[in-house]
Amino acid sequence: MSKITIPLGPQHPALKEPENFMLVLEGEQISGATVNLGYNHRGMEKAAESRTYLQTMYLLERVCGICSHSHTTTYITNVEELAKAEIPQRALAIRTLIAELERVHSHLLWLGVAGYEMGFETLFMYTWRDREQVLDCLELLSGNRVHYSMNTIGGVRRDISIEQKAEVSRRIKFLEERTRYYIKIGTEEPTVAARTANVGMLPPAVALERGAVGPTARASGIARDVRKDEPYLIYDQLDFKLITHNTNDVFGRLVVRVLELVESYKMIHQILNNLPEGPIAVKVPMKIAPGEAVNRYEAPRGEDIHYLKSNGTDKPERVKVRAPTLANLQSVAYMLEGGWLADVPLVIAAIDPCMSCTDRASVWDPKKGKMALYGWEEMRKLGIEHYKKRGVNFSGL
Amino acid sequence: MTELIKEEKIKAALEAKFPGVISNAAVQRKNRVWLDAAPAALPEILAWLKAEGFEYLSTVTGFDEGENLGAFYHVNNNSMVVNVKVNTPRAKPEIPSILSVFPVAVSYEKELEDTLGIKVLGLPPGRRYPLAEDFPVGQYPLRKDWKTEDYLAQQAALKTEAK
Repeated sequence: MSKITIPLGPQHPALKEPENFMLVLEGEQISGATVNLGYNHRGMEKAAESRTYLQTMYLLERVCGICSHSHTTTYITNVEELAKAEIPQRALAIRTLIAELERVHSHLLWLGVAGYEMGFETLFMYTWRDREQVLDCLELLSGNRVHYSMNTIGGVRRDISIEQKAEVSRRIKFLEERTRYYIKIGTEEPTVAARTANVGMLPPAVALERGAVGPTARASGIARDVRKDEPYLIYDQLDFKLITHNTNDVFGRLVVRVLELVESYKMIHQILNNLPEGPIAVKVPMKIAPGEAVNRYEAPRGEDIHYLKSNGTDKPERVKVRAPTLANLQSVAYMLEGGWLADVPLVIAAIDPCMSCTDRASVWDPKKGKMALYGWEEMRKLGIEHYKKRGVNFSGL
Repeated sequence: MTELIKEEKIKAALEAKFPGVISNAAVQRKNRVWLDAAPAALPEILAWLKAEGFEYLSTVTGFDEGENLGAFYHVNNNSMVVNVKVNTPRAKPEIPSILSVFPVAVSYEKELEDTLGIKVLGLPPGRRYPLAEDFPVGQYPLRKDWKTEDYLAQQAALKTEAK
């Protein structure tokens, strides 16, 4: 059979993530795949050099819409290491809490995307509905759903009250209940097994060779997790298991992620029950002493590593960011080879390449020269009115 | 410093194995070792580290220090990170490719070529990364003498936005 090369992407290959895959097909089977990147390079490393340390923090928060806390935490850990700042325990605990809530939100999002890609849309609807609970927790604690901006150099920006603790705890208990259901679906539902078992195989030796990180590596039986290997924040004080699975396929990646959800809930309860008392931030000078630092962080998708060089001024000399998806894309090319064309979106989605979403809009009114912010209720009202004018009434829903 | 035994051991072993090639080796803190290496010996040093359990290359950080360009190679054995620094003169920046040791480095090496203009010897040709297809060839944005304002001034289409 003759070979055909087809491009997949850069527009919307599986997810709204600009990346291009050149697939060599023999019939419906893939015999070769190459990954092309660089459609979304925004020059953040260069931009960081002309901004102060604090401005750079807000810039790096925007590297990713889901791992926003991961990138700022890695970056300020570097800054604080160079400034030799002693961060209060309460601030570290709050950072860890946000980090785990972020992981829950990311893994639930992934579970929905995986459900969608395998044609199991009920799972997508369920998980994204439940994900609202953790987004509400994040909004309650930080004031925002996606770019929480909880971090600041020297600590965190907001304290946590007793009422907030109780509310987060209540919502997490609801999610624990739901996750038990997802574990049952993930392991027993024939649709899931049929679509994910033996799909996108990544043997442990290849995962090691190609430097896979995060759940992608752990689903190939590699016990690699920065939280265990080199504990940062307060992970050395928390009791949690490192989840691995040995099926090396998309099914394994699903199992690892749902079981990690359970570990994250455990950690969230531990942090909420033992939140240390004390201040939430210390003052760090604007100018950072010259030096170099490297720090790693276990983001929801895997190891995130930042390098920082300071030159004694209030602006960094060099900032380097390597997000986990770049490390994992090398493995995707391998996973695709030998597979079927129909499985491509699922395999790509299985490493959880990151995308961002938010459900509110700000509207600029040029006549009044005013900015109006629409929340969920207003958006819903607008939607109902829009359809009413066209003869459909959704107000009863 | 009894708690830094592992770090000191790696440092001493590297210095013993590659005399004259490695300089300024230092243990910064727990799990962090830094060293300078001669570019020619880079693949050999990384191969030795890989055999010692440093199987994972986290990333490569290119830099511009004025006289010299260069790169850091961050390898780890899950817990300890060894940062190998190589310098190369600005007039003729060249670093050997490490693809024979770490095949994953391909995108990191392309990044060195694209953003800093460091020639990576032995890197197979291919599509550029990470800059856009229409970004001018021969301009290296991560070099310190490359200014965003100058670039924007050259772009007629961007005039209205360049403030």
